[in-house]
Amino acid sequence: MEEMILKLKQEIIEVLNLEDIKPEDIDNDAPLFGEGLGLDSIDALELIVLMEKNYGIKLQDPAKGKEIFKSINVMADYIQKNRTR
Amino acid sequence: MTGRSVLITGCGIVSAIGQDCGQVLDSLLRVRTGVGPLKYLKTEHTEFPVGEVKLSDEEMERLMGIAPDTPTTRTALMGMIALHEALGNAGLKADDLKECGFVNGTTVGGMDKSEQYYLDFIENDSRNAYISTHDCGSCSEMIADRFGRFKMITTISTACSSAANAIEMAADMIRLGEADIVVAGGTECITKFHLNGFNSLMILDHEQCRPFDAGRAGLNLGEGAAYVVLEEAGHAAARGAKALVRLSGYGNACDAFHQTASSPDGEGAYLAMTKALKEAGLKPGDIDYVNAHGTGTPNNDESESHAMMRLFGDDLPPVSSTKGMTGHTTSASGAIETVICILALRNGFLPVNYGFCNPMENGIVPNMDLHKGCKLRHVLCNSFGFGGNDSSLVISAVE
Amino acid sequence: MEQKTSVKVLSAKQITIQNPLCEDWMENPLSYSQDYVRAVDPDFKQFISAGDARRMGKLLKRALATSLSALQEGGIENPDAIITGTGFGSIENTELFLDALVREGEQLLKPTQFMQSTHNTASSLIGIHTKCHGYNSTYSQKGFSFDSALYDAWMQFRIGRIKSALVGGHDEMSPVFSGFVRKAGHVKEGEICSEAAVSVLLAEDGDNAYCTLEGVRLLDAPSEGALSKVLADMTADGIDAVMTGMSGNGENDSWYGFLETMLPGVPLLRYKPLFGVNFSSSATGFYAAACCLRKGCVPSVLSVSGQPVECGKGILVVNVVEGRHYSFSILKPSCGR
Repeated sequence: MEEMILKLKQEIIEVLNLEDIKPEDIDNDAPLFGEGLGLDSIDALELIVLMEKNYGIKLQDPAKGKEIFKSINVMADYIQKNRTR
Repeated sequence: MTGRSVLITGCGIVSAIGQDCGQVLDSLLRVRTGVGPLKYLKTEHTEFPVGEVKLSDEEMERLMGIAPDTPTTRTALMGMIALHEALGNAGLKADDLKECGFVNGTTVGGMDKSEQYYLDFIENDSRNAYISTHDCGSCSEMIADRFGRFKMITTISTACSSAANAIEMAADMIRLGEADIVVAGGTECITKFHLNGFNSLMILDHEQCRPFDAGRAGLNLGEGAAYVVLEEAGHAAARGAKALVRLSGYGNACDAFHQTASSPDGEGAYLAMTKALKEAGLKPGDIDYVNAHGTGTPNNDESESHAMMRLFGDDLPPVSSTKGMTGHTTSASGAIETVICILALRNGFLPVNYGFCNPMENGIVPNMDLHKGCKLRHVLCNSFGFGGNDSSLVISAVE
Repeated sequence: MEQKTSVKVLSAKQITIQNPLCEDWMENPLSYSQDYVRAVDPDFKQFISAGDARRMGKLLKRALATSLSALQEGGIENPDAIITGTGFGSIENTELFLDALVREGEQLLKPTQFMQSTHNTASSLIGIHTKCHGYNSTYSQKGFSFDSALYDAWMQFRIGRIKSALVGGHDEMSPVFSGFVRKAGHVKEGEICSEAAVSVLLAEDGDNAYCTLEGVRLLDAPSEGALSKVLADMTADGIDAVMTGMSGNGENDSWYGFLETMLPGVPLLRYKPLFGVNFSSSATGFYAAACCLRKGCVPSVLSVSGQPVECGKGILVVNVVEGRHYSFSILKPSCGR
């Protein structure tokens, strides 16, 4: 799981172009949206693309993304349970 | 409005609900939608209803007398059809154009061809002529040059408010005496590029769109073109041109909130409408109808609803979005909807908000009845673009 | 209606193939042998946080940095209008989206790339960043884009709607598209295909202005008579020189031939050998002229003849695009510098 979390963080950093951020800068339980990393609705859309591209998980409803992308741990957990790739 | 008076002495349109003003009027009066399954664009995403112009590129080329191998784009062809009608409507010939300006609104330009020939652009020289048709400015030149040589051409590209901004810029030119006639409007065809772009933003509805409806789920893309001939009042009188309506005010403001979403309180929309009314010397109570931007996205309709309620208070006039019939024609929408407003003013009816069923919570309830025979004096037409580029026009009846 | 006859150019900032956000080019210009050169970027962190920058391609970063820099120098936080010209928009992100669409298909495309492909992204980004609710517009008319934006700003001042305006000309050029523009003839033989971001702050009032702007005219395929009249109107009080879009390419330069006939003896200047060619080149010409007036001298590197040129009466900036679009703007020295 730890390896998967590290990979996920690297993917998020790359896809969202978070140039100055390293994986160790992202707390696994900190909120990703609003405060914490301060991501917004467009970032959520990019993460939806990432989920499908890298893990084969298709999210039709962007609103559902809010719950899944709550934190790295929540996201990793969801991926673990639902990935098809 | 200070300065010289701006009339509209001609208009032309091509859209999903008709290929000229007469057909569009007919569709509006029959409340007939042009939104339906994809027919012309070659795309995987056939799940999205769209408002296509019911003409192939080849059919449009034939209509405009363009030789088959001439490099043209769908956006330019639609623009030509609409401009052809507008110029004819205003009684303007090729020779008259050297005293006229042309301000066009478009964002996709020639992307319909670029997306087809992109790999050729890179790998060989077989489609080089289409590199020159890619950008917005070239599109405007192609449209204008089909009819003669205008004295000034430029292109505004502010996404969904492009055509409205074009009309505003043209009006400024007339008021300042830069020209006595300026033709303005916009054109946009559906491309895979922006169909997929809007899909990536997840704001397309898989069903017929429902502006201002509680269950609305997004927009349906449309395409088309429309132009209005703006003319200084004295000049129109001197040449015996008939005024269709008057452009009595307009306003442009920036929402300054987000690149793709509108602010919850609709500040930019509110400011644009307020500025337009102020320039027209009118109060909110003077407006008899609002043609809303009303895309059918949860965000726009809430924001715009809020802004209208702020502006009009208890005195809200009938409001409708016509995008349920035309689709969201993006850069062309400001002009297409201006022409719809002109048709409503001149024929005495209120366009219906096709697609609406259930009222939003705390939102406006749009107009669902034609009210044939009504007398409209002043109409407000809203166009709000990505990036918070908000524009409103006040169009008024002439005696 | 009150007709304004002049506005002040409070500041003008550039990020181009010359050293950015400064006027080093006047004394120590960078020179290039390549025919495609990308802009020299400053450290954007002084203007834009990493978080904000994540969603900005080069054009947007440059547009924002030059804008903030111009606003800072000009001492205005919220301009009444933000008007931009761009010929291709954020072409790099447009290309990324288009490339993925064409090569990989219509699934899993990136919204951030698409968002930047609407040409008004720069204008709205500056509006969002400065929290400006004022007039906001974007022009896209190839090499006439900045000129159109400037003309609109001029009209807004004349109509009395605004007291200040931030006017920009921004174009970037990706390696792939640099090939396309050569094929299409937008960049000609002997010209450097380049990038430019220029932001100019105009205002009715303000101290330490670079110069004043006293007129903007746009014409399409004008007759000789019309050209002659515009030149006469705009140079009525006398000028030192004409800043032209001459580049050294024969076809391009032939479009400026009328100047030697109609303004005989008036020195001609050119900026394209320094700043290269792109759809926002005319903005660099305007910027260069403003800098000359501010400094009170014209560097010899701008002079077509190589001879020194006086700078006390004013400079006429002329842009001719494809031999059909003509723009003229007249800049005069600012009093009380």
